[in-house]
Amino acid sequence: MSKKYIGKAVKKVDAQAKVNGEAEYTEDLINEFSDLLHMRVLRAPHPHAYLKDIDISEALEVPGVVAVFTKADFPKLSEFGLIIKDQPVLVGKGEKMRFLGDAIALVVAENDAAALRGREKIKLDIEELEIVEDPLQAMEKGCIQIHEDHDIEVTHYLNKDMCCDNILSDNYIDRGDVEKGFAEADHIIEREYKTQFVEQLPLQVEKGIADYDNENEEIIIWAASQWIHDTQADIAQAMGVPKEKIRLKQPVIGGAFGKKEDISVHIHLALAARELKRPVVLLYNREESMIAQSKRHPQIIKHKTGVTREGKLTAWETEMIMDTGAYASSGPAVVRNAMFHCSGPYQVENVRAVCYAVYTNNTYCGAMRGFGATQMGFSYDNHMDVIATELDFDPFEFRLKNAFAIGSKTPGGEELNHGVNVKETIEAVHEASNWQEGDKDD
Amino acid sequence: MKITFTINNKEKTVEVSPHQRLLDVIRKELGLTAAKEGCGKGECGACTVLLNGEPVASCLVLAPQADGAEILTVEGLLSEEGDIHPLQQAFLDAGAVQCGFCIPGTIMTSYRLLQEKANPERQEIREALAGNICRCTGYQKIIDAVELAAEKWQAGGEVQ
Amino acid sequence: MMKNSRQNASNRQENFGENSKKGQKEPEQVLGQNVPIGSADYLAPESLNKALEYRSRYGYKAVVIAGGTDIMVDYFEKLPEVTSWLDLTKISALKNIEITREEIIIGSLVTHLEIARNEELKKYLPLLAAASSEVGSWQIQSRGTIGGNIVTSSPAGDTLAPLLAYQARFVLASTEGEREVAAEEFFVGPKDNIMEPQELLTKIIIPHPPENTISRWWKVGKRKAMIISSLTMALLLEVNKNDRIQSARAAYGAVAPTPLRLESLEEYLTDKDLQEVELKKAGNLAEEAISPISDIRGTEEYRRQVTRDITIEALREMQQR
Repeated sequence: MSKKYIGKAVKKVDAQAKVNGEAEYTEDLINEFSDLLHMRVLRAPHPHAYLKDIDISEALEVPGVVAVFTKADFPKLSEFGLIIKDQPVLVGKGEKMRFLGDAIALVVAENDAAALRGREKIKLDIEELEIVEDPLQAMEKGCIQIHEDHDIEVTHYLNKDMCCDNILSDNYIDRGDVEKGFAEADHIIEREYKTQFVEQLPLQVEKGIADYDNENEEIIIWAASQWIHDTQADIAQAMGVPKEKIRLKQPVIGGAFGKKEDISVHIHLALAARELKRPVVLLYNREESMIAQSKRHPQIIKHKTGVTREGKLTAWETEMIMDTGAYASSGPAVVRNAMFHCSGPYQVENVRAVCYAVYTNNTYCGAMRGFGATQMGFSYDNHMDVIATELDFDPFEFRLKNAFAIGSKTPGGEELNHGVNVKETIEAVHEASNWQEGDKDD
Repeated sequence: MKITFTINNKEKTVEVSPHQRLLDVIRKELGLTAAKEGCGKGECGACTVLLNGEPVASCLVLAPQADGAEILTVEGLLSEEGDIHPLQQAFLDAGAVQCGFCIPGTIMTSYRLLQEKANPERQEIREALAGNICRCTGYQKIIDAVELAAEKWQAGGEVQ
Repeated sequence: MMKNSRQNASNRQENFGENSKKGQKEPEQVLGQNVPIGSADYLAPESLNKALEYRSRYGYKAVVIAGGTDIMVDYFEKLPEVTSWLDLTKISALKNIEITREEIIIGSLVTHLEIARNEELKKYLPLLAAASSEVGSWQIQSRGTIGGNIVTSSPAGDTLAPLLAYQARFVLASTEGEREVAAEEFFVGPKDNIMEPQELLTKIIIPHPPENTISRWWKVGKRKAMIISSLTMALLLEVNKNDRIQSARAAYGAVAPTPLRLESLEEYLTDKDLQEVELKKAGNLAEEAISPISDIRGTEEYRRQVTRDITIEALREMQQR
């Protein structure tokens, strides 16, 4: 690595433009378009319902409204998604809305106020279904299936008595011999931990502009993305056009933290710009961003741990259930990543973990800083404190005794050969915290 | 309706609709896009400008209410030659800028703070900036930047 | 079926701002779906009389705006639908703070920032100055007014518990004349008060608290700034040289449909030696006298427990002063 940068304070190349206000974020580009149309999205009025009918006639009469697009205008649209294509661009007649962020109609007008008025005039007829509020409900026998066409073959590690219709994906680890490990333990400690939804809250919400290049039949989209090539490919497959017909131009992002990995404004804008052959802008508001775009996954985590009298971990068993919300997004990858962190930076010979992501009618969950490891980190280190407290170990000594070192194996079976500094980190924390032996939390 | 105000030391007369917000007028009618909209409800502070000398959330000011007012935005901190202000430089030097969306608003509140108090304590900086939300840096470097700016001003003369 | 679903759809969109309850009582009269966009009346009188004239002519049909820190949130994305605005900010007569021998008179347009930084108010009305300094943020304090906080009448309004504790009176004016009401009589429900559509709040009158007054302000929220309070407390004791409590006023916010004075607690404290106040008993009285709800800012149980705890803590601090 270059000595020019490592250990040096390097100035961000774009910082100056950001302190003097010149950096161009999506909304700052608006003034460059003279004939910009404004879009507003009508979203699902209910988190789980069939759309029986939609009437846009009054919306079209609002002065300034140029068009109202529904699924009927684009019969060939495909679903989209980062890993599994399970999310509809628009919910059509006879189709199901699965969370409050599902888009039902796109209102395009000469100004934002007209688009808002138009949206108010759209009439929907829906058939409400049972709402699946949490993953435990989703796994109860007889629970309604959220994705009817979803078919999963679960592993033998899952309890066969539960309903698997709403399980998006499941993963397991089985290393060493957990039963033997528990037999060797002097104490077995079991606890359950829960985490909640977290909003990434990038300061700039999802905003975008799209235009149509008649000559080259290209759609140009100015909108932030964390995966610009994946986003391009996903837009193209959803619309059924070649990738090279979608041109993404990345304005300054304005924060993302995982939230901008998913498609947001892109396909809606692309469709409208192509149909109307005019530039169109879509600016989410903060509430819309919170309702329609991804969250950090809430997890229910159970750890069962075997420990010897001397404080050595002999077995670690984890079950984790993750609420992935209405659509897959990054869920299958997040659940795997969380699982591989189940016992943290602590050496355990015998590890078994079963982790699954479950569909509900909540806002879908995706990527956020740590990508599943954060929730697991909250649980395993709390669990280490619980064990230390119950067995009267010093929490630092207990951690040091079990911490990864060169040659340790992770739950996933990777051997760690270099750069292992868990012990140094724990010692540094020990020093910085002024922890005295015998100190107690309470 | 027409309104007249002074922005960044220039008098402007603008045709506005009663329902427009000051933020819309500054960004769209005047093309000064440094002030940002992060929430539209006065929570985040990205739209902060100085209105008659005090920081305000310009998304909560109805445009006609700015008639006769004096407004300062980040664009107004640049010198006539276009050089950045020592406060802006301090944000660069302290590494306080990441995604940058909060920075124009944060700089305006900091600017007002340093006008009032040449040498604020870290706690006073925190309190002053409580209405400017940042999601990237964790605030430490922003506070460092304001401290650094204060030192520079102490050494190099007063706030303009 | 159709109609029902349509309502669902439009409600959903409106509820995107879940916490932005209507500031006006009859918003459907204010929002005109068919008015051409951008054609609203904008009334910005410089004199109070002119404003009262407009108020009697327009009533609810004109949205009254001062600092805008509540109204602009309530009307977020509905601004183009407002048919008439009555902007009070040019009325300089409502921007004064006047201190007489008996009373402190604060104009309804005085901002939170002005109150928080006014040396005399800090001295005479420390609870109000402290509460004002904790409203929202600098940006909100420099626009938001005390009158707006009162008229919005949120049970969580930061200045309301102090105003109750100080026995403030509000002057409501109309073209017909003025009337004065006690703060306690003013609030009748969440975001509801006794004001009539032709009236404007012009002044807040507060009698000077006696010199031997000691007081504590407490705001509980999920963070220190930019937060709607989970709970507020303004506790004020008049204590004589012998540490005897001659009068007590205990006002709490966000613990009931309106900001509230807890008479049972006041009664218990009155005529007692401060050092002999049983803290637990006082805490229990406070906890029992409130009727909080569970919402996103705290559960009923949480609010009861915290009410008890901060009451005890404040009285303990007063005993040890």
